Amino acid sequence: MPMVRTCALALMTLTGLVVLQPAAARAADCSTLPNPVYLQVGDTQLNLMKSLGRKLRDNAGNPVTLVFTTSGSCTNIEAMYTDVKVTGNMQYVPSTAEDAAWTTASATLTCSLPTGGQLTDITNSAVFNSACTSTPAPATVKLFQGPVQAYVMAVPKASSQTAITAEEAYFTFGFGAAGMVQPWIDEAQLFIRTVTKSTLLAWGANISVPAAKWKGMAFDKSTDVVSALQNSPTPEKAIGILGVEVYDKLRSTLTSLAFRAFKQYAAYYPDSTSTAFDKANVRDGHYTVWSPTIWMTRVNAGTGMANNPQAKYVIDVLLGLTVAPATNFDSINVVAGVGLVPDCAMKVTRTFEGGKLSLYSPTEPCGCKYDSAVATSTCTACTGPGQGTCSTGVCRHGFCEAR
Amino acid sequence: MLKLSIFAICAALLAPAAGCSDNGNTQKDAPVIDAPLVDATPDASCFTNPQTHEEIINACTTAQKIVKPGKPPLLRPDGSLPPLP
Repeated sequence: MPMVRTCALALMTLTGLVVLQPAAARAADCSTLPNPVYLQVGDTQLNLMKSLGRKLRDNAGNPVTLVFTTSGSCTNIEAMYTDVKVTGNMQYVPSTAEDAAWTTASATLTCSLPTGGQLTDITNSAVFNSACTSTPAPATVKLFQGPVQAYVMAVPKASSQTAITAEEAYFTFGFGAAGMVQPWIDEAQLFIRTVTKSTLLAWGANISVPAAKWKGMAFDKSTDVVSALQNSPTPEKAIGILGVEVYDKLRSTLTSLAFRAFKQYAAYYPDSTSTAFDKANVRDGHYTVWSPTIWMTRVNAGTGMANNPQAKYVIDVLLGLTVAPATNFDSINVVAGVGLVPDCAMKVTRTFEGGKLSLYSPTEPCGCKYDSAVATSTCTACTGPGQGTCSTGVCRHGFCEAR
Repeated sequence: MLKLSIFAICAALLAPAAGCSDNGNTQKDAPVIDAPLVDATPDASCFTNPQTHEEIINACTTAQKIVKPGKPPLLRPDGSLPPLP
């Protein structure tokens, strides 16, 4: 009998090893991947990381691997300002050559870091840094203002609600049940985020409820909010906050509410209609709950040059700037495809979280290209540098822009 | 209720005639009727040449909009917000 038990144990151990080995083999050493750039980004940026990550892996002239992990915006800022290393496994996506069947709906792959962790090359905040800290960035950190991220209040598909006003949101999330805003009076059905998350900070700034004052169930991950909404036993009473790029992938199960800001006459969706994907109201200021994404990298304090040139390359691609070697894809398509709005497509701007909007004219507008990426563009197509084939204006990204 | 609906439809139909579009051809500095009126507050106005924050968020647009009537029970009579608990 003991012999049988011993054999059984040995067999189980062997089986376990056989089962475990492929998983261990998948966790490659991150440093062996092509041109790894280490990032710590907000979890609302996951779709961007997957989409851009694939493009950059396949970028023939300069293949780059985005090796990333997700965390709250404020945590990410602090990590960059105070040189906190990331530890544990990181995520990345395979190149087409490695896995042609992989799509952005697929899971990411994991790779391992050296013992003791790794300093990131890039961190990201999806709110103005000033929403997290009054400490200025050290001279060794440079900030870049990237694509705009909008935020929504979402309800389950079974809810009949279509809109929420800033006043209603103030009472719902600032007072909880005591706010008496129907139907959102059950604090167990108010699905919010923890205080370091951009989604909470951005909403808080727009409805005048500081992060520490929010009522509701605070989740660490967007996916937890999504799950809570989708599985709510009382969908009419349920409401949650999400990044729009998260929501846009889940429209079959969730509904975003139109939002009416303080002193606004009507409520609007981020898009021109509840079913569009054009972010027209974000671009022109009718939808106010948005922040620029901020991208930070380490630089030489004297020269201002990025410590890792590949990190600067990635940021320039994100910002839609001209890079060398040129990419074999248009980053505006990538940014627009995940629900973000490139700065060059914005018509309004602001200088701090929830701040007043003012008119904005980007130096190199790309509104025509953005329109073509998310819907249809009425602009004239063109070719060539400068004015190219345009009768007036400038040919940018294949369309005649005003300048 | 029927009266309100008829008025709302008429207001919506008349909005383009009032020059409330995004084409910028009309020059209006003052708010003009743009959407179904729920009450007689400025909630139904829009700006054709927005410059300030309040004008930008209330600029004339063809985008889908929702006018939500009613006020939260705890909102003060003057429309201000009580402090958070």
